[in-house]
Amino acid sequence: MPTLTPDMVPGLVAGGASCRMDVDVAPKFKVGDAVTARDINPLSHTRLPRYIRGRTGRIARDHGVFAFPDTSAASGTHSDPQHVYSVRFEGSELWGDHANANACVYIDLFDNYLELA
Amino acid sequence: MAHDHAHNAPPSETAMRVKALETLLTEKGLLDPAAIDALVETYETKIGPRNGAKVVARAWTDPDYKARLLEDGSAAIAELGFSGVQGEDMIVVENTDEVHNMVVCTLCSCYPWPTLGLPPIWFKSAPYRARSVIDPRGVLAEFGVELSDDVEIRVWDSNAELRYLVLPQRPAGTDELSEDELAALVTRDSMIGTALAEAPAG
Repeated sequence: MPTLTPDMVPGLVAGGASCRMDVDVAPKFKVGDAVTARDINPLSHTRLPRYIRGRTGRIARDHGVFAFPDTSAASGTHSDPQHVYSVRFEGSELWGDHANANACVYIDLFDNYLELA
Repeated sequence: MAHDHAHNAPPSETAMRVKALETLLTEKGLLDPAAIDALVETYETKIGPRNGAKVVARAWTDPDYKARLLEDGSAAIAELGFSGVQGEDMIVVENTDEVHNMVVCTLCSCYPWPTLGLPPIWFKSAPYRARSVIDPRGVLAEFGVELSDDVEIRVWDSNAELRYLVLPQRPAGTDELSEDELAALVTRDSMIGTALAEAPAG
């Protein structure tokens, strides 16, 4: 691995490092689908927050194909590409009677986190 | 005694950990410490919420740009020269009379660096991260924003790889303002969604 030097900083900052992957992977879900977040409880890295597990929402948007962080964190490289969706969860589904009026959460979830409701 | 704290107190645990990491990376040949200075200077002086304010002001004055911004945030923001680390895949969400958007990262502190710079301390705090999703109206009220129950509140948890910028509503009485004058009304918090854009002076 090269040494990070000051002259490399502007290019790195401006270029970034997208986790989007240019591979053809079929989506498991489509906009409008009702989906339930799986109740997984890994001891390793995950981007599925606890408050979403087991809850049901609706796919609002398909963001395309990204590396799966749960796998990439262990492998050290972008791996396990799959679709990421913006999923809308109603406040009442997440918080029951304690939900605010007329409020919802949109969260980005990977194929591996979801199953059809 | 003039004052009661020791000037030779040991550095904080965080400062010592950062120093240890920097020393290790340097000794392993992975880092020239001057690169850290260049990074800090970049985010202290070059990249910050004035970038995002220019994006918002352009969207307020150019309907075609606004349409592109809502369709493909990354590309439209890059048109103004802003791109890169922690802004690779941007989504812009628009506030309207019916919908108010606010952004949180419940898992850590993900934030759109090219348009907003580095996140404020409160954005990284556990209370903001925990409460924004369960009680957004309560959090907004503490920021001084009271919204009617008729307005739907959408909280965007940027837990994955997408980063979010809120397009606040253009304040009333700003028809005569230039794009630069409009940008001055766009605060950092209004682009996180914990504030509204400021009203024009006078």
